[in-house]
Amino acid sequence: MKRNLKYAIAIIAAFPMLMYTSCTEDKPMEEEVEVEIVTDEKPQNEKFYQIPAPDEMFGFIKKSGLTYNKALINSPQKQTSYTTPLEQTMIFGVYSADLAYTAAYEEFNESIKYFAIIQKMAENIGISGAFNEELMNNIKNNLDKPEQLLENSNDSYFSVVDYLEQNEQGDKLGIIAAAGWLETVYIVANSIDYNKNEAALQRLADQKLTLDNLLMYLDKYNGNTDVKEMTAMLKELEVVFEPVAEKDTNSSGITLKKKGEGKMVLGGGSSLKISKEQFEAIKSKVTELRTKIVK
Amino acid sequence: MKNINNILLIISIIAMPVIASAQYCNHFHTKYCPPSESGMYSLNGQSKSALFSKGQTSELNVIVYKGQDYRISLCFDETLGSQITFKVYETKKVKVEKIIETKTMEDEYEKDANGELVVDEWGAYIPTGNQVEVVNKETVTVVEQQKNLLYDNSQDGFATELEFSVETTRRLILEVSIPGSGGSGNTKNKLIKSTDMGCVGILVEHMTTPIQGFKGTGF
Repeated sequence: MKRNLKYAIAIIAAFPMLMYTSCTEDKPMEEEVEVEIVTDEKPQNEKFYQIPAPDEMFGFIKKSGLTYNKALINSPQKQTSYTTPLEQTMIFGVYSADLAYTAAYEEFNESIKYFAIIQKMAENIGISGAFNEELMNNIKNNLDKPEQLLENSNDSYFSVVDYLEQNEQGDKLGIIAAAGWLETVYIVANSIDYNKNEAALQRLADQKLTLDNLLMYLDKYNGNTDVKEMTAMLKELEVVFEPVAEKDTNSSGITLKKKGEGKMVLGGGSSLKISKEQFEAIKSKVTELRTKIVK
Repeated sequence: MKNINNILLIISIIAMPVIASAQYCNHFHTKYCPPSESGMYSLNGQSKSALFSKGQTSELNVIVYKGQDYRISLCFDETLGSQITFKVYETKKVKVEKIIETKTMEDEYEKDANGELVVDEWGAYIPTGNQVEVVNKETVTVVEQQKNLLYDNSQDGFATELEFSVETTRRLILEVSIPGSGGSGNTKNKLIKSTDMGCVGILVEHMTTPIQGFKGTGF
């Protein structure tokens, strides 16, 4: 056993030297790798499902004329009410979306509060590593610049995504993204006047497609009980989104081509149409699900 | 047993560059894909980097929203070559009616000269002792993902940038294929050289579609 251990230590010790040696040769040395045993890091034909970050939605609804409503975000006072790992992971997603909302509307004081909350919540769910010194310094140095708020909010969100991907915690990332998306849809649905906010209403209807991506992402982790619980909530929402449909379902007609001499345009086909009843059903369901998360 | 442990240890050490490379790939798009120079675009959270090997094809499913412009740029390690294929598909769920055929083996019964089943004195069919294959057909409605090719960079000089305005919100598949015969599909039992592997990044940027013309300035 001792002899084997010596061999192992010798190999480990020699490995970096072999690597450096190969770099000094005139001809680069090719290393051959037995892929069969290279765990799950081996490249495979993969499908990745991406979810737009909350800032994309909030930036749009602000431009489309929806006003900021502080009553719609989750109160900072409630941050200690969440005790189980699932509750804490979901609420991290909720507060991240709330931060993006306050930042998009340049609510300076609120944004600072929510930065502090998500930093603290990150510790609770074991992802404080996502908030590295460089990111925190960058945020602190820009605290007095309201125009940087959205960028800071995005930086922290992307940092969390990177951290969870690097640490192979796709299940946790899925729950955070799903809860953040639910909070985003809740805020938008409860800010829209069906008869007045056409563009925002269209964006809400389009969330049917985002929900598809979200469900397919979560399906990769369907062995995880927390993911199953989150998926069950989203499936309830999928049912109320189901009747939201394109006018013409038979032919896509979508093209990506140059319009005249100008830029490329993804156009044609028909958009999803949402009736007043469908809008009310979505608003009611998302409010119910969001209440379950924030309590 | 000891030998197996030793082999696993050696292989895991050899695999270290692959693992390190996979983690390094996570930030590849922010480091190596050149962002728009206009300063009008914002980084989109749907950007992604991953480790690829020659012969591999992977897809990134993204949402593009009506009223926004998108800029998608591709960057990759030189080890993967210079002609990486990048395709954009629209994907949508469609309900399709399918006929499902199920085959079962059932007892064969005696028939008369007219092909009618014969019954015994109790009114029961008379088995021949043989079995025949019976095909049952059932129509069911299933949901399928349909793909519609919108763009192929091999028809565009292997361009690594694509910029477009969106008039209808769509779910898109950004498909990246690395030429060569590497570990496509089932890579089990194949040897892959580390020089056949590299990072690929897809940088997605977005902005609100600018309104063109002299809107609201006339008298």
